[in-house]
Amino acid sequence: MSLSIIKTVSVCKSVSSNEAQLSILNDISFEIFARERVAIIGTSGAGKSTLMGLLAGLDSPSSGEIELLGQPLSQLDDEQRAKIRSESIGFVFQNFLLIPSLTALENVTLPAILRGEGEDIVKAQQLLHSVGLSGRETHLPAQLSGGEQQRVALARAFMTQPKILFADEPTGNLDEKTAQNIIELLFEMNREYGTTLVLITHDSNLAERCDRILTIHAGELQEL
Amino acid sequence: MQTSNVSSGNKMLLRWSLREIWQGQLWPVMAALTLIVACVVALSALAIRVDAVLTSQGRAMIAADLVFNSATATPSLLSDAQNLGLTSSSQTRFQTMAFSDNNMQLVTVKSVESSYPLRGELILMGETEKVSHSVQASELWIDEQLLSLLAVNIGDKLAIGDAELTISGKIIAQPEVTFNPFRTMPSVLIHESDLPKTGAIQVGSRVQYRTFFKGEKSALTQLQQNYQLQASQRWISEDNNGRSADLISKSKQYLSLTIVMVILMASVTLILTCQHYARSRIDTVAMLKSMGASKGWLRRWLLVQVGLMFTAGLLLGSLVGILLELLLRLPLQHILPEQLPGYGYLPFVFATLVALLIGLPALGIPLIRLLDTSAIVVLQAQQPTPSKKGWWLNILPIAAFIFFYGNNSLVWMVLSGLIVLFFVLANSSYALLFLLSRYKWGAAMSLALSRIKRSQKITIMQLAALSGSLLLVTLIWLLRSDLLGDWQQTLPAETANVFALNIAPAQQQAYLQELDKNNITRSPAYAIIRGRLTAINGGKIKDTVAPEKQDINVLHREINFTWAKQLPDYNEVLEGAWTDKGGVSVEQSVAKDLQIGIGDSLDFTVNNQTVVATVNSIRAVNWQSMKPNFYFIFTPDVIAQLPATWLVSFRIDDSQTPLLNELGRNYPTVSLLDFRIIGEKIQQLLAQVVWSLSVLAGLGVVSGILLIFTLLRLSLTQRQREITLYRTLGASRRRISQTLWCEYGVMAVVAGFVAAIGAESIEFSLMKWGLKLTPSVHIEMWFIVPLLALLLVFASLMSAIKQLLQPLQ
Ligand SMILES: Nc1ncnc2c1ncn2[C@@H]1O[C@H](COP(=O)(O)OP(=O)(O)O)[C@@H](O)[C@H]1O
Ligand SMILES: [Mg+2]
Repeated sequence: MSLSIIKTVSVCKSVSSNEAQLSILNDISFEIFARERVAIIGTSGAGKSTLMGLLAGLDSPSSGEIELLGQPLSQLDDEQRAKIRSESIGFVFQNFLLIPSLTALENVTLPAILRGEGEDIVKAQQLLHSVGLSGRETHLPAQLSGGEQQRVALARAFMTQPKILFADEPTGNLDEKTAQNIIELLFEMNREYGTTLVLITHDSNLAERCDRILTIHAGELQEL
Repeated sequence: MQTSNVSSGNKMLLRWSLREIWQGQLWPVMAALTLIVACVVALSALAIRVDAVLTSQGRAMIAADLVFNSATATPSLLSDAQNLGLTSSSQTRFQTMAFSDNNMQLVTVKSVESSYPLRGELILMGETEKVSHSVQASELWIDEQLLSLLAVNIGDKLAIGDAELTISGKIIAQPEVTFNPFRTMPSVLIHESDLPKTGAIQVGSRVQYRTFFKGEKSALTQLQQNYQLQASQRWISEDNNGRSADLISKSKQYLSLTIVMVILMASVTLILTCQHYARSRIDTVAMLKSMGASKGWLRRWLLVQVGLMFTAGLLLGSLVGILLELLLRLPLQHILPEQLPGYGYLPFVFATLVALLIGLPALGIPLIRLLDTSAIVVLQAQQPTPSKKGWWLNILPIAAFIFFYGNNSLVWMVLSGLIVLFFVLANSSYALLFLLSRYKWGAAMSLALSRIKRSQKITIMQLAALSGSLLLVTLIWLLRSDLLGDWQQTLPAETANVFALNIAPAQQQAYLQELDKNNITRSPAYAIIRGRLTAINGGKIKDTVAPEKQDINVLHREINFTWAKQLPDYNEVLEGAWTDKGGVSVEQSVAKDLQIGIGDSLDFTVNNQTVVATVNSIRAVNWQSMKPNFYFIFTPDVIAQLPATWLVSFRIDDSQTPLLNELGRNYPTVSLLDFRIIGEKIQQLLAQVVWSLSVLAGLGVVSGILLIFTLLRLSLTQRQREITLYRTLGASRRRISQTLWCEYGVMAVVAGFVAAIGAESIEFSLMKWGLKLTPSVHIEMWFIVPLLALLLVFASLMSAIKQLLQPLQ
């Protein structure tokens, strides 16, 4: 039996908008184990991002319990959850979310700085090299193409050797060919670092490449 | 190892923050901050200098920093002054007859020490045109007019009371001038050591003792505090001494008002730029939080940025402020004294304080709320949740404001007016917009109006900020114009500067003809009949009026009466109306002191005859106006038949001096009171004040305009995303700029109009209740201000449109 990395028990999420209660996720229970690659698929607006936000401790469920790396999130405060994220979690976002005023290299070192580790320039350079961006260290995000920005984001995500990588539609803003490259790189690095991967996508081909596929539909989760 | 890691992290933070400032994310905030600092530095530096110049002018007029005026000698004050390290000088002043071999004349004798005057200029010219600046023992200096009045020459002997002194020369200029021709008698200066010889100081004689002080402000204040004032004693300082004091105190009030208004405007801009900055940081903060940044780390991250920005803003602002002050001073150069009083470090301390006090809540509150940004924003845009966090930071500037301006009623008037107007105006301008949107307009206009309507809260905020700033700019300007207008009205350049008294009835026609022949502007001739008020409604003054009330000028000596068919048009009738027969018009202060009302019957003694008249009106008289003025003016039937001499005032230019001398020779019995030097002094002071105020107002307006410009630019950049989208969707450049034009144009016109109304009403109350001047309406502003707003919109649109129209990459 391998180690449980994420475990949800009867998680519900509803938001109130205009006085009405809107239920987004309903009674969701599942478990993800170490080194698994899990795809979450569903149509736009199905609640994928909402679920990922809950799993990563960015938001709290309306009811139910989530355990992240063996720790029940409901018993942690914001700061403690932030600490878990800085130590064990990496993100890749649909819109890259690089800091526009930092160079590629500085963007990559950022997670280490957040952990109070100082700038590990050598490691950041290695990572940039492994995503194929040697020589672009001093470029600002505005000087990079979308695909190149996502590569920087990948390098940044692996900077702290996270236990879990959350990727929310990492190729949603990229053309097909670039998207393919990014996905290859993502799986390759994931393999190399032995990271647990939670990949959100609406592309079923991409989902096929993962070990498990979870689908969200009408707030309910199903495993295919 | 650990420390080097942290320091390398800190270094990166520093680099990052610098780059943020450099790349422009913090640019608007920094611009607003720099502007605040620059304005406060420049304005307060200039204010300190103008203040010093005005104060020294005022002090030159009273011959000291502080004067003590008393009916009795007060030696105790002198020793106290000495202990406090103050320089002092005494003067004894009384009226007496001066006798020459040929003539006699009532004169004011000022017996002074050699140290007189402590401030201002005394110019004495003796035989052989030798000039000196102080009075020495056994000297006697006399007003020039006395030479002819007494028919004497320099070197002749003159009897002042019991003393016989030789005339040392004439007084060319002296401080302590008054502008009321009837209260001015020709004066003579003698030395304090000769005072006993005159025998003027006796029990019961009316003597004024003046003590002049010079020294540190704190010591002067201490001196005043230590001494308990008794009846018939008072302190005279540069800001309670007549006309010039009024000029100076009003100018000082204007200075502080202008500074407050500029600070207010700048704060509005700073608040808006800070909110914009905080909003633009939400994504970054959320992203950092998702990567596990702790609140402590984020706080440090923001503090470094803000700290750097503050330091840079302070340095840059101070520099710009120094340059600005220099620039502002250029036009003032020829009227400011050569040796400028320095402004020291105060403007910088003040600017730093202001920047901190405003910056703390303006930046602090949105940043505190920014720290609460939820990390989930990285995945889903969130509705901003309203927060009250950090509101207490507002207490700081409010407390400081109350501390600094707590007892400045003018500032409070402006402020409360602003607060009321802020709400009323922002909402009414919104209502106006709403009304506009109900009519049919072109496509661009409709789009613009609907947009304005849709983003209600933002629109109201923007309108409030825009109309508020415009209002302040307008107010600064209106206040300047009205103040100057008032001064120029009471002290017009063509005021009479010579008074001819004592014209015999037989000479009167010829004298007036002589003036008219030479095209000299003159007043009508007034009959002068000297007399006393003796009874009110049959009750003798001696018996009915309380003793302390009897101690006013009007009662303790003979005063000048006149008669006229009509009241002079420069006297405002406050109560009652002029009649044809049996009437007298009374000056308001006398009426108030003696509780005289319309319909009262007054008895006067003139030449041992009693005349009776009924009060028909109460008049306001401006004694500083250099026009013939009287406490009592009778209808002709009451006193016209009594023997009188005549008075006329006229204006002499420098080129006409020979004519004046000729008049003096041809009519030796007519006394000429020459006010040219005094008039010039006052005009000079006025010119200085006018310049200083105009420059300050100009700076206020310019900085206000700059701030409004910043505000508009900011609002436009906030539209970047939306406009880029339109552009990407293929909207033509014309369509976009037309819509923007309509939207901002409408907003500018509405805000401008509302600002004009607001400024007008605040100005009205300030003039009427604050400065106690006559308010007026400025219709032209109702057009100029909206036009100015439109121009600003045009400028900001032009400067931003290129960037706004860039399509999405
Ligand atoms: N804070 C919120 N308030 C209101 N509705 C929300 C909120 N967060 C998410 N939603 C709604 O929940 C649904 C799921 O959103 P999301 O998880 O982002 O979908 P997706 O599967 O496309 O990532 C959407 O319909 C969205 O509008
Ligand atoms: Mg999503």
